[in-house]
Amino acid sequence: MTFDAIGIAGTGLTLHRKWLDAVSDNLANVNTATSTDGEAFRARYVVAQAGEGNTGVYVRGAAYGSAEGRLVYAPDNPLADAEGMVRMPDIDLASQMGQLIMAQRGYQANAAVVDRAKETYQAALQIGRS
Amino acid sequence: MDISAISGAVSSAAGIEAPAAPENPQGASAFSQQLGGVIDGLQQSLGTSDDLAIKAVTGDLQDIHQATIAASRAQLEVELVSAVRNKAVDAFNEIMRMQA
Repeated sequence: MTFDAIGIAGTGLTLHRKWLDAVSDNLANVNTATSTDGEAFRARYVVAQAGEGNTGVYVRGAAYGSAEGRLVYAPDNPLADAEGMVRMPDIDLASQMGQLIMAQRGYQANAAVVDRAKETYQAALQIGRS
Repeated sequence: MDISAISGAVSSAAGIEAPAAPENPQGASAFSQQLGGVIDGLQQSLGTSDDLAIKAVTGDLQDIHQATIAASRAQLEVELVSAVRNKAVDAFNEIMRMQA
């Protein structure tokens, strides 16, 4: 392609957008209780893979956290079992917040690459003008 | 007039394989063919950009950056093609100004 750097940075933007989506989903479900006979909400993690050659980065797939979660005593919860336990997702809020910042900064870095690459190509197009 | 330097620059800029050795350079027609190919590519980029812009305003767009990147890319390609076109027109005018 003619303007490669822009497309490569675009793959990075897509990956970080998906990472942001995953973190957002995990944070949205951080307090989602389930009954003890079911599975807990499983945290979703994006698995990245480098493209072949200089083609950027792609999502290989998703990895999931534990379905077991952690058992919490919450007798008020309508989902509680006979012992008053519910299953809460095993999501570390601090880790998710850290990932949120990494995903945001990664997205911003790739957006900066797009802008910088565009300026560079425009400088090349100025060669020999006038 | 030998314009293989220009046509070589056009093809390598567009990612088309430059003819390894233009043993039969048909001069203007080879250049115009390559320019035509580049313009076809530009047409495609502009179409993609327009499609994504429509998707953006209708809410069908998944990634905002896809639309903005396609718009940037199309803009750069327009600038590239117009730069080459201007150079070609300049060369033509230069020739027309020559005295017999």
